[in-house]
Amino acid sequence: MNRTNSNGKHTIAGDAREMIARAQEENIATVWDRLREQEPQCGYCAMGVSCRNCAMGPCRVDPFGEGPRKGVCGATADTIVARNLGRAIAAGASAHSDHGRDILETFAALAEGKTSGYRITDAEKLKALARERGIATDSRPIEDVARDLAAALFEEFGTRKESLDFLARVPAKRREVWRKLGITPRGIDRENVEMLHRTHMGVDNDYANILLHALRTSLSDGWGGSMIATELSDVMFGTPKPVLSRVNLGTLRADSVNIALHGHNPMLSDVIVQAAQDPELVRMAKEAGAAGINLVGLCCTGNELLMRRGVPMAGNHLMQELAIMTGALEAMVVDYQCIMPSVTEVAKCFHTQVISTFDKARFPGAIHVRFDPERGIETGKEIVRRGIEAFRNRNPQRVRIPAVPVPMMAGFSVEAILGALGGTPQPLVDAIAKGTIRGAVGIVGCNNPKIPQDYGHVALTRRLIENDILVLVTGCAAVANGKAGQMTPEAAEMAGPGLKAVCKSLGIPPVLHVGSCVDNSRILVLAAALANALGVDIDQLPLAGAAPEWYSEKAVSIGAYVVASGIFTVLGVEPPIFGSKKVVELLASGLEGVVGAKFAVEPDPEKAAALIRKHIEAKRAALGLPHIPPETIHAAETRLYAEAAD
Amino acid sequence: METAQTSAAERSTTLDSLKTVFVRPERCIGCRQCEFACALEHSESRDPARAPWESPAPRARIHVEAGFTMNSSFPNRCHHCDPAPCEQACPTAAIYRDRELGLVLVEPAKCIACAMCAMVCPFDVITFYPLAANGHARITAVKCDGCRDRVSRGEIPACAEACKVGALVYGELNEILRQERALESRVALAASGAALAELSRAPENVAGWRQWGNEASRMAGGLR
Repeated sequence: MNRTNSNGKHTIAGDAREMIARAQEENIATVWDRLREQEPQCGYCAMGVSCRNCAMGPCRVDPFGEGPRKGVCGATADTIVARNLGRAIAAGASAHSDHGRDILETFAALAEGKTSGYRITDAEKLKALARERGIATDSRPIEDVARDLAAALFEEFGTRKESLDFLARVPAKRREVWRKLGITPRGIDRENVEMLHRTHMGVDNDYANILLHALRTSLSDGWGGSMIATELSDVMFGTPKPVLSRVNLGTLRADSVNIALHGHNPMLSDVIVQAAQDPELVRMAKEAGAAGINLVGLCCTGNELLMRRGVPMAGNHLMQELAIMTGALEAMVVDYQCIMPSVTEVAKCFHTQVISTFDKARFPGAIHVRFDPERGIETGKEIVRRGIEAFRNRNPQRVRIPAVPVPMMAGFSVEAILGALGGTPQPLVDAIAKGTIRGAVGIVGCNNPKIPQDYGHVALTRRLIENDILVLVTGCAAVANGKAGQMTPEAAEMAGPGLKAVCKSLGIPPVLHVGSCVDNSRILVLAAALANALGVDIDQLPLAGAAPEWYSEKAVSIGAYVVASGIFTVLGVEPPIFGSKKVVELLASGLEGVVGAKFAVEPDPEKAAALIRKHIEAKRAALGLPHIPPETIHAAETRLYAEAAD
Repeated sequence: METAQTSAAERSTTLDSLKTVFVRPERCIGCRQCEFACALEHSESRDPARAPWESPAPRARIHVEAGFTMNSSFPNRCHHCDPAPCEQACPTAAIYRDRELGLVLVEPAKCIACAMCAMVCPFDVITFYPLAANGHARITAVKCDGCRDRVSRGEIPACAEACKVGALVYGELNEILRQERALESRVALAASGAALAELSRAPENVAGWRQWGNEASRMAGGLR
């Protein structure tokens, strides 16, 4: 295996660097080693011009235009690239939406009184969701309302509606854009199935038509599956409120039973939090020689728990292998999505027990404790018990906790943001109108070993807040910013004078944690609320999105629904579309005239910041607000990653 | 059996029409289909469904290596040099030149696996492992055989046939060079490490893909 001592280029995070060094010392393969082993990666696939949708193929089209220019069926590079992108979006939208359905099924079981460990935590939110759908709430038992709401939400997945109920939240002008284009999402499963149908050989061969349906599919995620996941998680586990917690591998404790909750779905992890407080289990942990039970989060399961319960966050996507390498992790409890199959291999080098919990997500080398909402709390206790048992196998000589935790604030649901503003978006609208805040940007998405870990997130965020742009973060981007110290109220000092003053008066950080990756739906809701407050469409607002280090199909879906909702989005990692000039042109420019927003690809966060600032100032100009001439904005000189890390 | 002493005069007729696999590194997109085709051609079954199950698994004699930046790669293979340093260095005359096709070949029975050939190879493309053709008896030098069997049948080498982007082109060397007169300077620049998007005659979209690799690599602290 070709391992080098180039870990300086792998990450900007000190805790990660120390663990990567350990991996090299102990010859444990990590994601960076495997990327290197894979290189060079296939250019046909990277450019999207390989197709294995049928058995006349597999085919590939020569992107240079001299070799084969069509697949066996006659599909051009444009058709093949669009089909592949459509399928990626369907996979991403399906992942979010199936997560949403799992939450909904538990919610429905809760309404029937069939669960253990779950309750309706935010009854007001439940009633508000019911009222949005015309479900009577007055003088009815809350369980009855919940049952009716569950039934209505199940219908969102079906095929018998003209449009999703959540579209009532969308500004009328935007709904009209979608209606005219024929991309109003009708049913969550329907759009995904239709995407797979269209990309079967001999169905939809028009790249633009395929991509329009891809946008519709993504909208069924953002305004459908993801939104259901967010809203029902709030109902069951509580709508997040600002909460101070800690982040990085230093959240692991040398003296405690450490259990990491990893994945995306808060259903089981939330009951594990309850189980870990069980006096009997705490006593058992002490008998095993531990000071207590310490739960930490990883990835978006971690974000869900951080947002609602202030559970400390061990790290984002590329920290999952490294968390095990502390030698201090008794159990890694995984649900689904973004959990590398490699974690069970790394765990073999330590005493860590990997525990899988969902029947749809099995991991060779893990033990499986099946999640069952009807015995949620019992399952949670069993998992904690296994963690305590693993503590007895810990080798204290192997423990290496590489950092002191950094404080970070989380918990900014739309309700919490509006709460901080005094109940209405008006103060934010006023601050944007005056120019104290230039605009707002959602920085979202993953880590990708092709980008120095966290550098894209942290550098872009920093440059934007310095220029008085409010930043909302979810997922891995939130963890990166937390670790960099950009998410405390004190971080207001890093912001430009306007944003700093607003943050100080409200006691909030300049970078707001709005949740997990399904919680990007909160960004949509907030954008819609701002547009409605101003009586404009979303694409007229000084907003942007960015996914500086994305890797997953879910991120492709997120990017697509953000753009389809009218928000300019900058991707740090190239999507697999470069094999088709027409697709590139459509996504990077043509879409602007169709949905009022487009994509850009820019790995350098300094240049991405300049693109976003220009866009925001141009939107301000168009709204007649005070603005900086966009052409006067230039990217700061590219700083090598090494300087940025210091 | 041909030996290292084959004179230039004896091969002059072959050299007049030297056919070779010419490498155009700026075209390589790293798909590694040449590696698969090469391993398949040198398998026992020559059947893509069965070859991966052979023991030992057949191996490629062309090697696609990553470049200094992301989204760049180079298909490295034997260039059948003349004079061939490997042939000159071989103490047992196991390496010889095939008179008919001008290919540098290995006679496994004579090879003592001393690796002198590998030490002097300018491209480091000689490898050592047991060959199925040699009864798996012992490790010997293994290198590109120019797909002698295929070429004898009038087919082109497997790697060039698999390459759909024109990174591996089979033909008469002077004819390829005549068609692509300007190419050689680019190749020289690429070899000197100056290969950047602007040197490539790639279409705009492919250039964009390369540029992302250059920029992302630079951002990650420079060349790998």
